[in-house]
Amino acid sequence: MSRKSLHRKISRRKFLGTSAAAGAALAATGTGLPRVSFADSHTIKIGFLAPLTGPVAAWGKPGLDGCLIWADWVNAKGGVSIGGQSYNIEFVGYDNEYDVAKARTGATKLIKEDGVKFIMMLGGDTWAGAQPVAEREGMLFSTLLPSDLSPDSTTLVAPCEVHPIYNVTGVEWLAENKPELKTAAMCAQDDALGKPSVATYLAAFEAAGIEMVDAPLFFDPATTDFAPVMTRLMAGNPDILCLDTCYADYVHPLCEQAFQQGYQGQIISCTADFYQNIIEKTSEEFMEGFIFQFPDFDDPALNSEGINFVNPNEFYAEYANRYGASAWGAVSWEYASIMDLWADAATRAGSAEPAAVLEAMKADGTGKHAFGTADWWGTELFGIDNALVGNWPVVVIEGGKARIKAFKSIPAWWDQHKDLMIKHMTDLGQMWNQQG
Amino acid sequence: MVFLFAALAVLPYLLSYSQQEIAVLLVINVLLVSSYRLLTLTGEWSLGHVVIMGVGAYASALLAKRLGVPVPLSMLLGAGMAAATAAILSFPLFRMKGFYFLIGSFAAGEIIRLIWKRFTDPFGGPKGLKRIDPFPDIDAGFLSIDFYEPVNYYFLALIVVSASLFVLYRIERSRIGLTFHAIHWQDRLAESVGVDTFRYRTLAFVIASFFAGIAGGLYAHYVGAVNPTRFSVDQMVYVLVWAVVGGTATFYGPILGVIVLTVVNEIVLRALGLDTARPLIYGAILILSVLYLPNGLESLGPRLRARWQRWRGGSAAARREAT
Repeated sequence: MSRKSLHRKISRRKFLGTSAAAGAALAATGTGLPRVSFADSHTIKIGFLAPLTGPVAAWGKPGLDGCLIWADWVNAKGGVSIGGQSYNIEFVGYDNEYDVAKARTGATKLIKEDGVKFIMMLGGDTWAGAQPVAEREGMLFSTLLPSDLSPDSTTLVAPCEVHPIYNVTGVEWLAENKPELKTAAMCAQDDALGKPSVATYLAAFEAAGIEMVDAPLFFDPATTDFAPVMTRLMAGNPDILCLDTCYADYVHPLCEQAFQQGYQGQIISCTADFYQNIIEKTSEEFMEGFIFQFPDFDDPALNSEGINFVNPNEFYAEYANRYGASAWGAVSWEYASIMDLWADAATRAGSAEPAAVLEAMKADGTGKHAFGTADWWGTELFGIDNALVGNWPVVVIEGGKARIKAFKSIPAWWDQHKDLMIKHMTDLGQMWNQQG
Repeated sequence: MVFLFAALAVLPYLLSYSQQEIAVLLVINVLLVSSYRLLTLTGEWSLGHVVIMGVGAYASALLAKRLGVPVPLSMLLGAGMAAATAAILSFPLFRMKGFYFLIGSFAAGEIIRLIWKRFTDPFGGPKGLKRIDPFPDIDAGFLSIDFYEPVNYYFLALIVVSASLFVLYRIERSRIGLTFHAIHWQDRLAESVGVDTFRYRTLAFVIASFFAGIAGGLYAHYVGAVNPTRFSVDQMVYVLVWAVVGGTATFYGPILGVIVLTVVNEIVLRALGLDTARPLIYGAILILSVLYLPNGLESLGPRLRARWQRWRGGSAAARREAT
């Protein structure tokens, strides 16, 4: 190929013309789109910055769906009362695809263009992208993953889910109710969500006197064939299979593999999102006794005294009505429960400004968590008391339906076994002061 | 050229704040995909290019964070590290060709990602590195530039990427570039006239990796965080899609691909409120472009021009007949 023919392929005029056209198209698109959306003066916008597509969408999209119900209900009752004025709530979503750069872009868009007063995130990998924005803008953020907390991030709170610490309650209940089970095997995806959860389960098993038959098995998040993973887990003939905090895309095939490879023992997992689908692919008998941490909100136990989530059974019914019962997942209620806490704090503060709401939220060191009054806690584990920790439910599948078996106290477990937790977190490099 | 740079200079002021953020990442991705094209000139398609970008990002971040190396220098050293990694990998990888090279590059990339995951110190494990030093602000009294602001970082990235593209362009047009092409189309013939194909393939790999490393450094010091997932094969698929949709026969083809797809995916579809439908539409665009533009967007201009000339020719003939 001659130099001349190459020149013929890309002429200077052609290159410049096409590049200029592309640039002009980008500019034209930019100018043609709304740059700032203005809410009316009686509406407060709340940002929802989570994965709405991709493999982690199961922990984002159902949460936004739940928030829309929350907003409809609150707005129908006249909105949130702040400083003697009622305000409607409007959610503005941004799909960060669980990508750190898109989380940064989303955070700036929500703050600078949409004018939100509070941003809810799933957290994890994406918090690192939003963190500089939060610090610069002084915006109040919430995460479902308190391992994001650190003393540097004073405007980040974990007011609902204290992942993975609540996993200790499932193991504690298991040990109390099935003391004959003495050995466990565990697997997790090798990422920022899997590792702290493994440390928690290791601490909980050790505290309960349950031995690991093998070291935890970490698989790559890109794994699609779970047959060898399950074969290795079952090789040690454990009494308990622990699926850690695997994403729904992993829990389902892992359960299928356990079923197909003839496993008949106990399974415990942090989540069992869309568990009806797992039952369909395995059997009701196989899934009987499956322990996890996230209740369906039609559970009668949620009507008991001390539960702060407003009308949980009606919320579940409305959710099932709008999106289908099988769409209910671990996070369907969580972001909505954070909004309960935010609305209560904003009302007490008489302001929706982030700093005022944060101060009101933590005013007396306690807060109205969905499952009861809880304490702002976390210095020993996260370096800052920005996690709201109290009771958490233990859920068991019985007759094809998830049922709450008990509410167990996380602080009570912590008081007894915190040394174990800190040891395992440190061993896996998951303490706040070990983060890169 | 003046018109192009004027358009690029005006562009950020026509965008919203978040669109400026997208423009920064777009400029960085232009360098990534252009550097990838240099490697494809030799006929080899790699699945490890995004990981190589990650090597540049991690190295630059660690040098700045741990050793206090000034960020501009750490970005250059990070790019050097990416090039050095490519040079080492070329020994096993260029014993393979075609499909085997593709798989080999994927395996090599996964090994590097596993190293980042396994060694929490210094790589931060699965969580990666956070609070990476930003590009230092400039404060000279009369001039104050804060690189947290996307418009400022856009111009920084634009300067770096423009210079890099110029170098890549000159390399392609040089004797070395012609040799890359020769190896692509007739490697046996090239060998028979004394071309050391291994050395030239290695050279293309090293140069492409250096610029991918520059892109990694620009990314790390802007976003402030890197993790192994960010450089996974999923991200590599995007680079392949940009290259395939844009076309790789011309220098501007992949650039066109990344610009068009980013604008559609990140600006147009989001603005239309189609957030959750974006993967579906993105996939449809890919399928349609492969079906109807198998040579990429770069072939669209010549095809339209040919049609226009045929139409003009036809019209002229009709006029002659009429007279």
